Order: sequence, then C-alpha cells, then structure tokens
Amino acid sequence: MMTRKIAILFVACIAWWALSPAPASAQDWFKTGTGLGVSKARLAAPDLGIRTANAQTLEKTFHDVLASDLEYSGILDMVSPSFYPLTVPSQPSELNAAEWARDPANTYMLAYGNATVDTTNLAVAGFLSDVKNPSAPIALQKIYRGAATDADARKLAHQFADDIISRLSGGLPGIAETQIVYVSTKSGTKEIWIMDYDGANQHEVTHLKSVSLTPRWSPDASRVAFTCFVPFRGIVSPQICIYSMASNRLISFPRYRGTNSSPAWSPDGSQIAFMSSQLGDPQMFVADSDGSHLHRITFAAGVSTSPVWNPKTGKQIIFVSDRGGEPVLYLANSDGTDVQKLDMPDMGYVIDPAWSPNGQLVAFSWRRPSGNFDIYVMDIVSRALVELTRDAGRNERPSWAPDGRHIVFESTRGGTRQIWSMLADGSQPRQLTTQAQNESPNWSPR
Amino acid sequence: MASAAAVRVPDELKGPLWVSGAFHAALIAFLIFEGYYAHNGSSWGGAGGAITVGVVGNVPGIPMPRPEVITPNRVVDDSKGLYKTEPPKIQQPPPKDTETIPKFLKTKPPPKYVTRPSKVLENKTPPPPNAVPYGGGGAPAVPYTSFAMGPGTSTQAGLSFGGTGGADFGSRFSWYVEAVQRRVSSNWLQSTIDGGISAAPRATVTFDILRDGTIANIQITHSSGNASVDASAIRALEGSSPLDRLPPEYAGSRVSVEFWFDFHR
Repeated sequence: MMTRKIAILFVACIAWWALSPAPASAQDWFKTGTGLGVSKARLAAPDLGIRTANAQTLEKTFHDVLASDLEYSGILDMVSPSFYPLTVPSQPSELNAAEWARDPANTYMLAYGNATVDTTNLAVAGFLSDVKNPSAPIALQKIYRGAATDADARKLAHQFADDIISRLSGGLPGIAETQIVYVSTKSGTKEIWIMDYDGANQHEVTHLKSVSLTPRWSPDASRVAFTCFVPFRGIVSPQICIYSMASNRLISFPRYRGTNSSPAWSPDGSQIAFMSSQLGDPQMFVADSDGSHLHRITFAAGVSTSPVWNPKTGKQIIFVSDRGGEPVLYLANSDGTDVQKLDMPDMGYVIDPAWSPNGQLVAFSWRRPSGNFDIYVMDIVSRALVELTRDAGRNERPSWAPDGRHIVFESTRGGTRQIWSMLADGSQPRQLTTQAQNESPNWSPR
Repeated sequence: MASAAAVRVPDELKGPLWVSGAFHAALIAFLIFEGYYAHNGSSWGGAGGAITVGVVGNVPGIPMPRPEVITPNRVVDDSKGLYKTEPPKIQQPPPKDTETIPKFLKTKPPPKYVTRPSKVLENKTPPPPNAVPYGGGGAPAVPYTSFAMGPGTSTQAGLSFGGTGGADFGSRFSWYVEAVQRRVSSNWLQSTIDGGISAAPRATVTFDILRDGTIANIQITHSSGNASVDASAIRALEGSSPLDRLPPEYAGSRVSVEFWFDFHR
C-alpha cells in the first residue's frame, strides 16, 4: 500500500515536472531588421455588424470616430472602403481572410466587430486580425462597454483605436483619448477651454471673467498651470494660477510682485519654471509646485521667458531671451548654468519652444525676415531644421502630442486665429476649432 | 505707291480700320509699359525669398514610419535627382508581319524500351528484430521547441518537456514582429551616426523581449565595424523599451530577437 502511494506520487511528480513550462533554453526567437525605411501597416476598418436595430446611429458614430482616429495616427495606410469585399465580418468566425488579403483590398490587418445596444448600454466587440496569416491568433479581441450615448460611443471608439495603434506601433500608446487645453474667447473673455484631441467635446474650464493665457498640463494631467489676471485687493497683475482638473477649482499658488507669466512644469511635476519681474527685469524663476523654494535661474540683462524642460531628462531648459538683441532660443541646464544660444541660419524672432516627448526635437515658431511666423522643428543634437508650415497665415505656439507624432498649434490660415493640429512631419493639417478666437493650445501628456 | 494703289480700301471700311489700328497701338504700348513696371526693381527669388534652412528631408525622432525615399527639403536643389538616368533602350527591330510557319518535322517513332529486371539491392543480412524503421527514429514527435536536451543544472535535469509557444513565433505573430521592426526603426537616429560614413556593413544585435515588453540582454553579435553605427543601434533598442506586451496567446515568458541594422545614407 505504502509503496504504491509512493509510486503514484513519483509518477505525479514526473508528470508535473514534464508538463511545467520549459526553461529558457527552449526559447522562441525571430529575426528582423531595418534598412532604409519601413512601410506603413495597411489596415481596413469596415463598418461594425449591428446586432440590435437601435445600435444603428451609435455604430455610425463609433465607426466614423474609429476611422478618423486610425487615419490620423500617422502609422497606418488605410484601405479605401471602395476596395472592401462585399461581405463584412462581424466576428472572427465570419472572417474570410483570403478575400481581404487579396487585391484590391490587399490589407494586412483588419479591424472589425459588432455593436449591441440593450436599453441603456452599448457593447462593442472589437477584433483585430492578421488576414495575411489566417492561422495566426487574433491580435486583439476586446469588448468595450459604455452607456448608449453618442459621447460614450466616441469614447469607446477612441479606446479601440488606441488599442489598435498601440499594437501596431510596438507599444507606443495612441493619442485618441488625449485632450487639448487652449484659450478661447467663445464665452466673451479669454478663458481656458478643453477639448478632445479631434476637436470634439469642447467646453469651458475656467470661469474667471478676466484673462487667462498659456495653459500647461502637469505631467500627470491632473492640473493645468496658466497665466491669470485675477484681481487681488483691487490690483490686477499677471500671476501664475494652477487649476485642478480633478476637483475643478483653483489650487493656491503664491502671488508675486510685478508680472508673472508662462509657467512650465518639470517632467516629474514637482517644480514650475516661470517668468517673473518681481526683482525688476523679467527673469526666469523656478519654484516647487506649491510655490516654495523659489529661486532665480537667469541673470542676463533683458527678458527671459517661455521656459520648457527636457521632458525626457529634466536636466535642461530651453527658453526665449532677447539678451542678444532679438528674442531667440537659449539652451541651459535646468539650474540656469551653461547657457548657450541656439544659432539660427537666419534672423528673426524665434519664440514658443516646445520639447518633443522623447527629448530629441524642439518645435518652435520663427518669423523670418521674409515672412510670417511658421512652425519649425529642430533636432537638438544635430541642429538640423525642418519647416513644417508655409504660406498659410501665422502659425504659432506648437505643442507636442504625447506620442511625438502630432503637433497642435494656432494658425490664422482660415482668416481667424484657430487651433489646428498636424502630423509632426507637417502633413495632414486639420482644423479643430471654428468659433471665436482660439489660441495657445497645449496637448495633454496622456 | 503702286502697291498702295493696289490695295484700295473701300470707304466704308476706313473708319473701322482706323479704330483697329489705334487699338493695336494702344495694346502694344500697354504691354511694354506693364512689362517694364512689373519687373522693375525686384528680381525673382530676390532678397529673403530663398530658404536655406531646410537642410534635411525628414527629422529623425518622430515615431512614424520613415519614408523609403527621402527627398531633401530644399527649395533649390542642385543635385541631379535621386535616380540615375537610365541608358537609352536599344531599339528592337519590329517583328515582321509575315513569318513562314516552319514545317512539321517528321516525328520519329518512340524508341522501344526494353524492361530488364532490376538488381536486387536488399541487404543480405536480415535486420535485427529491434531495428527502428527508416524515419521512425530520433526525437519523440512533439513540437520542435518543446523538447530540449541539455546538460542539466541543479534545478533542471537533462531532459525537459515544455509548453512554450512554439518556434513559429514569427509566423503566428507577424504583426508583432512588424510592430517591433517599425518601432525600433523609427527610434534609430541615423543623424547620430558619424557624418563621414555613408554606408556600413550590417550590424546584428540580439536581445530578449520579456513578457511585459521590456527589452533585455542587448548584445551586439555582429558588429558593423563602426562604433557609432553600433552605438546608434543599441540606442535605438534602448529607446524602444518597453515594447508592446507579448501577445496573450503566446505562452512563453520571453522571445529572443535577432535584429539587423543596414546603414547607408
């Protein structure tokens, strides 16, 4: 009896050991590489299958938003709907991969799914399949749930788009769920407004009935710092204000003498750099985000303003200064040492620096002697420049999207000052706002 | 005078002729006047018109697929273009309209084959009773990677069966492989490579992708022979970490990658 038990135990041990996951020696591998360039992934996103009749309008919203997000991602080559086969799958079992893989659709990935509405809830099953490898497992399958409202259909579409973009770009998150803060005169005075990255869902954030300028998201997207003109004991002066997006109110930040403007967050969110004339000349100061530990970091004659930290390292700052005559960009350590001018190959005002999320590029607006303000991007290492806008009104105040592929900016190309966004190579410009005057956009960090 | 007399203008056309002549004279005068003033003072592409800063066609660092052909972003480009001029094609003489159809040859009758009994190549000595039939030996019929034989360590014995995802990761998850390629490629900053180099031999780097997408164990297995190219390759990989999580359908804990970098400007 005893020996039999031991024997069973022994066999069980052997079986467990044999079936447990293999050690690293039995490891999978693949080979790939890069040369001159890579092609964009070709993707088709047909309409979703409609499971319940009342899902019709929400499905249309969902699909329009999804298609627009994917089109604007900058990494996908979208298949024209006229190339789609006649039958569109709504779930993996209905997928005829060969039909999509061959001409004319000739797609590589297919995003499809179905939508169901039960009284108040919307459920969208989203799938992403590799149609060139029909035997491969589905790359993405998820059910997105929300209320059966237009707003939630948009939100779910953004989530699905971001999941697809993240999968196909190797883990770099999409920006479809991000937001943009900006200054708008839509309600009469210049207030801070917020909108989705595609211009939808615009609404007012501050109601200060004065002037609010230069909003900047904190790195955790919980707060927005901006320049405000709130009267205090009868005196109106520009000050730094911080607004909590979580509790929808102003957070206290000290008031200083003179003019205080253009706040910028350090990448860890613990410090704020801003311009202040509390000691006479407009110079740059750094304080903790609650206003303590204030210290001055620039000491040259003239104005130093518009600081921006290197978001990757936090060790460097680019700012605008007119110490050499015209306002141009200067690069310095974040404690103010080792200031060097970023030499431009031409004259003119260089303002509004914005550092890309990976720390490699700086976007700014530059008014060359021959023309208007235009957006340029500079590689901070090689100092190579690329012009992104031209001959389309004044283009100013760029701000990077967290994926580093998109830039939002203000432009007068349509006649009035409005917010536009574009891919970071200057392509696909699109207008986000239309009413009143809108300026000074800042893209949320997540 | 004689010729003038030859073209006698009827009186009823004299009025319109004067009007026409005056109009043409006015037109010529206007053209001369307008041409002089339109181009007076400012020549084309004059002061401040030409741009000198757009010295690169695209900026590295934007995480988008790099175009396969990069055109320099210049207003005036003195190079002769991206492509070599092709040698002129040799004109083939056009086929003649009529060609004589070759006559059918007389077909030979097929040769008659004589079948002979083949030589018997069977082994004279009969196989032993425990012989393994041809093709039936070797490793047990289990998926390729899930069987491994090693020298054995303290925690694992010499033989191990396992259930990792299989050696066909690249074919099952080709979208993942392409995503890795795209991400690393967009993070490969060729501007950081020594400007004096126009091309370098292929550099091969191996690394592991962990379950959560972290890149680990970066090693150069085959150097390009140039330190700045190798360093840029390593930086491209470090800048790409973390990648997307490994696909949930994949059972293993890590995937090894062999990634090559071909550099040429």
